Amino acid sequence: MSDETNSGFERGTKRVFDASVAALDAATRSQLTQARHRALGAREKVRDGAWRWSLVPAGALAAALALWLTVGQQPAPPDAMQSAALGDLEILLGDEDLEMLDEELEFYGWLEDQPEFAGASDNVG
Amino acid sequence: MGLALSIARHEASLDREGALDTGAQIEAFLREVEARAYRIALVSVRDRGEALDIVQDAMIRLVRRYASRPSAEWPPLFYRILQNRIRDIQRRRAVRSRVLSFFGGTASEEEFDPIAEAPAPRADEPLERVTVGSAMQAIEKALATLPVRQREAFMLRNFEGLDVAQTAVAMGCTEGSVKTHYSRAVHRLREMLAEHGEERWYE
Repeated sequence: MSDETNSGFERGTKRVFDASVAALDAATRSQLTQARHRALGAREKVRDGAWRWSLVPAGALAAALALWLTVGQQPAPPDAMQSAALGDLEILLGDEDLEMLDEELEFYGWLEDQPEFAGASDNVG
Repeated sequence: MGLALSIARHEASLDREGALDTGAQIEAFLREVEARAYRIALVSVRDRGEALDIVQDAMIRLVRRYASRPSAEWPPLFYRILQNRIRDIQRRRAVRSRVLSFFGGTASEEEFDPIAEAPAPRADEPLERVTVGSAMQAIEKALATLPVRQREAFMLRNFEGLDVAQTAVAMGCTEGSVKTHYSRAVHRLREMLAEHGEERWYE
């Protein structure tokens, strides 16, 4: 089959698909509109909560300072305890989006299962 | 602590002002893609309620996690989420089907026939709508026989109009794989629709 014939076929299937989308009933369109509003509402909730979360590093810093002032006066703890406390502080002060990491892990896990995968992770966001 | 609170509120206020444009942009994007995304999900899962849930879930995830990304990245990200949700549903169905068959039940998935299940056209339905409906049913039936990756590549490239690079991101594979899957899908669909005398719609 020639490329020209295939491109006529591709235009045709696209036209049929577009027409089927345009023919969607009013009830479905209404439900899609409601779904969109719910999604945009979810964004507002995330934004409203964001400033409170921005206080977490400040609070963690204050807690770390208090901890240093208190514990700093005591004899030095063993090395293992020191590194564990530092690890906790890193987590407290870090601003990684754990939910996003979760989705990305799921995505890369799936990607690894694809037999034809060869370096596609460089292309994804 | 009071200073930190005040700074945080001020930053949040600035963010909110800057986000108004982004909010309008992402709403326009979702409005533009929602009907096509629903139709693509419906072709894949063949259940109206599940297709609506998939689209809503994809919209929520895009808005929550990627609204701050450049708008040019939204189409492939949105369709990547959509395809992941579709695959989740399909995997769940496959497990349910195996469990049902293990206990001697029937797997409705295997019995589904898009043509047989489609509602008959009403007598008062415009001829053009009936024609589009039957042509789309034929395409859906042919698509259902393709391997999953070929079907995904065809719907994303042809129906949604993503370019090769965007489709590669949405599918999580290389651009070369997209080209191969798409080319095979086009050839196979063309053959199947010609065999059933449906090619007249697409010339």
